Amino acid sequence: MMMRQEDFGAVVSAHHDEIFRYLRRAIGPAGDAEDLSQETFLRAYRAYATLPKDANVRAWLFSIATNLAKNHFRSETRRRRAYGEVRGGAQAATSTTQEAELLSREAGGLVDGIVQRLPFKQRLAFTQRKIHGLDYGAIGKNLGCSAESARAHVFQALRKIRQGLDGYGLLPGEPAQ
Amino acid sequence: MSDKPAVCVQIADDLLAAAIGEASPGAVGRVELHVAACRSCRRELQGYRALEGTVATMRAESQPNEQAAQARERLETKLADLRQRLLTYRVFASPLGHILIARSELGISLVEYLDRGTSLKASRLVNEPGVETAEGGEDLEAAYRDLTEYLGGRRQRLDWPLDLRLARSDFQRAVLQATAAIPYGAVVSYVGLAHDIGKASAPRAVAQALRWNPLPIVIPCHRVIGASGALTGYAGSKLGLKRRLLTLEGVPTTTEAHAPAIRTQAMYVLYPGDREYCVPTCPSLDTRRPAPLTRFGSRRHAEAAGFAPCTTCRPDLHPISR
Repeated sequence: MMMRQEDFGAVVSAHHDEIFRYLRRAIGPAGDAEDLSQETFLRAYRAYATLPKDANVRAWLFSIATNLAKNHFRSETRRRRAYGEVRGGAQAATSTTQEAELLSREAGGLVDGIVQRLPFKQRLAFTQRKIHGLDYGAIGKNLGCSAESARAHVFQALRKIRQGLDGYGLLPGEPAQ
Repeated sequence: MSDKPAVCVQIADDLLAAAIGEASPGAVGRVELHVAACRSCRRELQGYRALEGTVATMRAESQPNEQAAQARERLETKLADLRQRLLTYRVFASPLGHILIARSELGISLVEYLDRGTSLKASRLVNEPGVETAEGGEDLEAAYRDLTEYLGGRRQRLDWPLDLRLARSDFQRAVLQATAAIPYGAVVSYVGLAHDIGKASAPRAVAQALRWNPLPIVIPCHRVIGASGALTGYAGSKLGLKRRLLTLEGVPTTTEAHAPAIRTQAMYVLYPGDREYCVPTCPSLDTRRPAPLTRFGSRRHAEAAGFAPCTTCRPDLHPISR
């Protein structure tokens, strides 16, 4: 059995907001998350009739969204290189994250700021695992690597975030010697 | 970081896994033993646990979100527009050659004999303005199954919801709708069909409209023939197919390959507007103004279409013998 195009409205109600939030973290505050989430769902709609009925729709949407985020990241990088904006781009990203940090003194905002500075794959892996609860197998598929590497990306991200928060003295515990 | 004792480096992965609840019980035990003795790793573990708590609030925080809701609304508008334009299709290798079936959200919109290839590229959909295509699902397979049953004589109706938006004009839609009403096992002439839609003087325009029938077989343009009984034309150069479809319905045809025709003298006739069908020699016909007739290959199909035997010529008592 396959899906029926007519039922797609329910897919949008159930998953749109989550995919939108995922993409916002995946491509960062400078990117157009709405544009990518829109494209995710338009693509999904076109292909929906050929999706097997027992398919995991949510995981499928995450994989489409991740592919779009990867393309976005690649073309952004290319664009910056082409215009010699590597430094400027990095500075802009830093200033927006600093802004976010200033605006939100709470730990969640700080974590988001650090997440934005993570390498792309670690950022995606962290968001998929820790915010959206995908399993390592699905994350590996989305990123084009093994479940083991996906887990390594998540662990690496957590280490960096913890170290980053440490600098703010926001984490409890005994002070370092 | 690099000046960590080896034992701390070794346990670092298990420590993180334990903090986020992904460690095996054995590993959790090892970590607990180690942090009881190692202050810096204890501090690290507490840091990860605190981070877990923060992440949990991040997960929960963005539940109702106005930005997302507005984005969803705009997406729904875009989707509605795409839904209007999208036709899903499948290509089937049928006994009649490759056939493409396409549908919209309203119903089946295209049945096409692919003469120039075996994929979408050979379809008229490629050049159809305002149409977007995507590969279709099982509903199209079900339609193809129905079609196969029809071609095998195991089915006489294709009760599909239809979408006539691929028709080129209101006139063509009117012709198609009138054609759809021709019963199984019957034939009418282009002239007769022109009469039916109130354009008695336009049989050529009717023939032209049927030439671009987007739904052959389903809308049975094969049941429309020349006034002389000649099959005239079908889907470009598929006269043989037209004959095959008519034969399937019990319509007798002549066997000359180059100019096939129906055998009018071997068919029952129906005068326009009548409820009774006759043999072609019925005396009642002689007294009436000549008009385009509907012809049936068999009494069975005439009666299945709701017509009774004429009480003058009594085709029920004196059937045509072939």
